[in-house]
Amino acid sequence: MSLQLFKIETVEVASPVSSITFSSIPQGYTDLKLVLSSRSTYGNNFGNPRITINGSTSTFSRRSIYAENGAAGSEVGSDTRIIGVIPDNATANTFGSLELYMPNYASSTYKSYNVDSTTENNSSTQGVWLLAGLWSTTSAVTSITVGPIDGNFATNTTATLYGVL
Amino acid sequence: MAIRSLKSGTFSRSGMVGNPVIMPGSYESIATVTVSSATSSITFSSIPSTYTHLQIRGITRSSSANNYDNIWMRFNSDTNSNYASHYLAGNGATADAYAWSSETQIRSFYTAGGTASSNVFSVSVIDILDYANTSKYKTTRHLNGFDNNATGTGDYAKGTLVLSSGLWRSTSAVSAIEFTINGGVNFTQYSSFALYGVN
Repeated sequence: MSLQLFKIETVEVASPVSSITFSSIPQGYTDLKLVLSSRSTYGNNFGNPRITINGSTSTFSRRSIYAENGAAGSEVGSDTRIIGVIPDNATANTFGSLELYMPNYASSTYKSYNVDSTTENNSSTQGVWLLAGLWSTTSAVTSITVGPIDGNFATNTTATLYGVL
Repeated sequence: MAIRSLKSGTFSRSGMVGNPVIMPGSYESIATVTVSSATSSITFSSIPSTYTHLQIRGITRSSSANNYDNIWMRFNSDTNSNYASHYLAGNGATADAYAWSSETQIRSFYTAGGTASSNVFSVSVIDILDYANTSKYKTTRHLNGFDNNATGTGDYAKGTLVLSSGLWRSTSAVSAIEFTINGGVNFTQYSSFALYGVN
């Protein structure tokens, strides 16, 4: 059977907001896929979006490999970062590109997810990341919130949540 | 016959007994190009602006005298220096980072080259979010790799895995995408790109 993708909801930011929430997520799909084209109002070199699941910011952990400022590296963390939002001091009109994939989001096991993202702009202060994350909770995922750790999502940021069968 | 509610995800019985289940998905094929004889470029043109995002899936191999080559990607025939690219590349031993800016094309990914082991092709998935949004420059995200079965010496000759990104500094909607190979060499037979629209 082929993979099938169904849009659950798209949000486009008309004026800066601190976060975007997808709530009442239907439980009938197999996996979830979130794509985010984002820019923040915060003027640091790298912006970090974070994820909140079912209102929780605890029991998260992650590992990532990355290329930042022309150097490759790897890191671990016990936080909600999913990495990859363009900051306000980047090339004008550029937006980060991020995809988060979470299999078995309605299961009674811990929730693993992977993220690939970029803050591509026409300068050396740029990064690409691959991240594996874990939310060590057995609850089904019913809501997901994403938002920049610093500042707000800028106008024209878009986020779409898909269900996958 | 069961149908699934897209809102609740629950199954129920279709009132159209005997009819096939119709589930309108968000992922649609726009076009597929498969190389039947060696060619120097693969182009998708007249791309409709009606989708939200684009995704391209490809398998490629070049005809060069190298084990691997760079695939270039250009939008709307824009030959100006409006492109930037960044790579995170691993070969099983090291991870490397590369950056290019103000170039005339995006460096999309590494393809298996003409001296790679026979029948080896690279695989790639490229996402272009909000490709028709005229308030944004266009950012691309690529995941690509190939394995050359432990053959070859140096750099990525034995194979590589690349996460890369590209930028086209234009607010125009993407209406055409052209792929070429570094040095103007050809895509070999059976190379293929499939373009999908995502709603």
